[in-house]
Amino acid sequence: MTSLRDRGKGAAVPTGEEPAERDPQGTAPGAPVLRVRGVTKSFGGAAALKGVDLDLYPGEIHALMGMNGAGKSTLVQVLSGVHQADGGTVEVGGHVEHGMTVRRARRLGIASVPQRRELAMGLTVAENVLLGDLPTRGRAVRWKAVRDEAREALHALGIDIDVTRTAGSLTVAEQTMVEVAREVRRGGRILILDEPTACLSAEAAQQIRTLVRTLRDEGVAVVYISHYIDEVMAVADRVTVLRDGAVVQSAPAAEFDAGGLVRAMVGRDVVSRRAERPGPKDETGLAVRGLTDGRAIRDFSVDVRKGEIVAVLGPAGDAQSRLFDLLSGRRRPEHGELHVDGVPVPFGRVRASLAGGLRCVTGDRRALGLVQELSVDENLMLAGDRFARRRLHRRGHLARRAAPLRRTYGVVSLAGNPPVGALSGGNQQKVLLAKWLQTEPVACFLEDPTNGVDIAAMADIHTLVDELASRGVAVLLASSSPEEVMRLADRVVVVSAGRTVAEHDTTAITRDELVATALGGQAQ
Amino acid sequence: MTVKTRPEPPGVGTPPAGSGPRISLGALRRIPHVGLIAVLAVVVIFTAAQSETFATDRNILNILGQISVNAVLAAGLTLLMTAGGMDFSMGSNVAVTAAVTAKLIAHGHATPLAVVVSLLLGTALGLVNGVVVTFTKVAPFVVTLATATLLDGVALLVHDGNTISIGQHMFTFGNEKVLGVPWLLIVAVVVLVATALVMRFTVFGRDAFAIGGNEHVARLSGINVTARKLTLYGLTGLLSGLGGVMLLARLGSSSPGSTAGLSLQLSVVAAVVIGGTSLAGGHGTVLGTALGLVLLGVVANALNLLDFSSNYQPVSVGAVLLIAAIANEMHKARAARH
Repeated sequence: MTSLRDRGKGAAVPTGEEPAERDPQGTAPGAPVLRVRGVTKSFGGAAALKGVDLDLYPGEIHALMGMNGAGKSTLVQVLSGVHQADGGTVEVGGHVEHGMTVRRARRLGIASVPQRRELAMGLTVAENVLLGDLPTRGRAVRWKAVRDEAREALHALGIDIDVTRTAGSLTVAEQTMVEVAREVRRGGRILILDEPTACLSAEAAQQIRTLVRTLRDEGVAVVYISHYIDEVMAVADRVTVLRDGAVVQSAPAAEFDAGGLVRAMVGRDVVSRRAERPGPKDETGLAVRGLTDGRAIRDFSVDVRKGEIVAVLGPAGDAQSRLFDLLSGRRRPEHGELHVDGVPVPFGRVRASLAGGLRCVTGDRRALGLVQELSVDENLMLAGDRFARRRLHRRGHLARRAAPLRRTYGVVSLAGNPPVGALSGGNQQKVLLAKWLQTEPVACFLEDPTNGVDIAAMADIHTLVDELASRGVAVLLASSSPEEVMRLADRVVVVSAGRTVAEHDTTAITRDELVATALGGQAQ
Repeated sequence: MTVKTRPEPPGVGTPPAGSGPRISLGALRRIPHVGLIAVLAVVVIFTAAQSETFATDRNILNILGQISVNAVLAAGLTLLMTAGGMDFSMGSNVAVTAAVTAKLIAHGHATPLAVVVSLLLGTALGLVNGVVVTFTKVAPFVVTLATATLLDGVALLVHDGNTISIGQHMFTFGNEKVLGVPWLLIVAVVVLVATALVMRFTVFGRDAFAIGGNEHVARLSGINVTARKLTLYGLTGLLSGLGGVMLLARLGSSSPGSTAGLSLQLSVVAAVVIGGTSLAGGHGTVLGTALGLVLLGVVANALNLLDFSSNYQPVSVGAVLLIAAIANEMHKARAARH
């Protein structure tokens, strides 16, 4: 068995020449591979990190948790050399590193896989894995060697992806895997994964977790950032919780329970349990019949009564965004029918969909939800003012109309009315919901409404969705989180490969049964 | 703009002693287009010191008169580029409409009729661009570069090798003043101010920012993006038609392959870009464009007064554009860092 380092240098290195440097089991870590002591960092007078300590051992999965703005990203940026720490020390492999740069971090084997995947989408998987290090003869690329080496690099981590596909054709999970394989091949010993399972289906998330465990078993030190409590409890060996730029707790994962973890992150208990709502009315608010798009959605049907929340679990990623495209009118399906409030709504026309009273809230707020350059208030009113057929635009009026929305939806911004891109993820998500839900819809399609938001914002958003249903709106919720489905939905429709495989009343099923159905559906 | 995402701890807000000048510099930077204004001031002061003619009323009106046609085109282009569009054919549209108007007048048609035809023709040409851009998804740059080249050729065909004179028709409009201000300048200022008001105070104008910022979001928000884009391209066409009439009135004749066409287009695009309007859409100000126009006009005038050969003209436009573009980019990078 070759060690990871050997592979990192390519196939030419014979096995066993280099002694194994680490204990591959990771059970008896000697010295930490990374030791952070008292690191501080401020931006323009605001302290983002207030003396953070962190020990990272080879062969451990170290979860880093905290709310948005707790300092996770800043810490990661300091470790990977993007920002310089103001004070404190970072020690890698026993040497104190002064003035870490991106280049230096890379040389030391610190690699991060950001949330927005960074692959060259037009190139093949093989080229991406070997990017910057293509095997050549003279100046000509040896294409066969490229494919072979890439295949081997993927295989070593148990990843099964055809290396001749282009990166753009991969699913998000596959892109993550390719990126991990690239970093490991380059000699990454400390791998920082930023929310690698956000927006993934249960099955894809499972694959990522398997990969992360493989990395650990190979002796890599993994920093794992995630908002999903259950996931962290399942996968992490050690958990460090940051709050307001300081470590509040760092302990083996076994010493945490879910409630304690939330308390550590938020500083108080967060109550987000099923709310009592008036039961659904008898009228159907949203009816979808036989929706087929020839790709990700096949013969999908659902009925949502007014005041009811129906969750669609399973169609994560591609299929979920296809559902958004079809319902919002961005794309035309091959066939299918859509009725809102009993009235047929034509497909393929955004404005017809809106006029019918259907509001579709995207899960991809950056690409399809908000105009990043426009101010918070303008984004809040972007859709509403169009329905009101306003012609004149005055800033004072805009602020006055937006103020109650900011209050109702809990949008917090300290700098008045900045471009919406400057807000935290949770606040942006609230702006997005406020933009759509203020317009008194008949029916709503919500795609992963709590994607990438911290646990407090998540609880707020769940309350908002509850209120929406209480007002008598028919809510169709596409979610990849079983917790969210159990928390919000009256009924859940489990979808696999574009087809409905099961339908349950959420009061008549436990979370674990739901997960089992979803996974079983995936396996079919 | 800098945005603080968390409250400043008390006491941090007060700057340490000795950083006074830096704070005032920071405050200066917040003035919109401060870099552009500074460069303009330097050029003006330098030229005024070197040439006595520069700072006279006559010369200043001369400069403003010369940039009037560019200003009308640049106003439309600012709005279009803010919405993420591009029209490279405005200068060539001017060449065609000027030639057609001249021909109509030379053939004895009434001047008002010729002007109306010119405006309609300009609008129609703009709409052709709009239709192709909206319904084929070909990049606006490619579409309008093609129509620009095509229209340059059409203008040559209309002229058929001859200069078309309009005699004394439209002489007043092209060369006389009212209350000491040239008619052409009045038209240019009205167009610029109207565009600025549209961009700032109408939903149509704000939609342009939304479309340029993110077309998908704009469409999903219920904005009729197709109609908006067609209107915008029609508008740049209309303003090109107006520019054609103005140019013809100023020169008294239309000649093949002269002032209009792609070279006019390039200085218009330069003025808009110098003014900080984003090629990618989502940002743009008429004030910036106006400053860009004045800067280019002043530099051209200065070269003239300081006895440089007219061959330095394109050199100066190119240099100013390059410097301004780099300055804009640096400003953006600094804004992004904080």
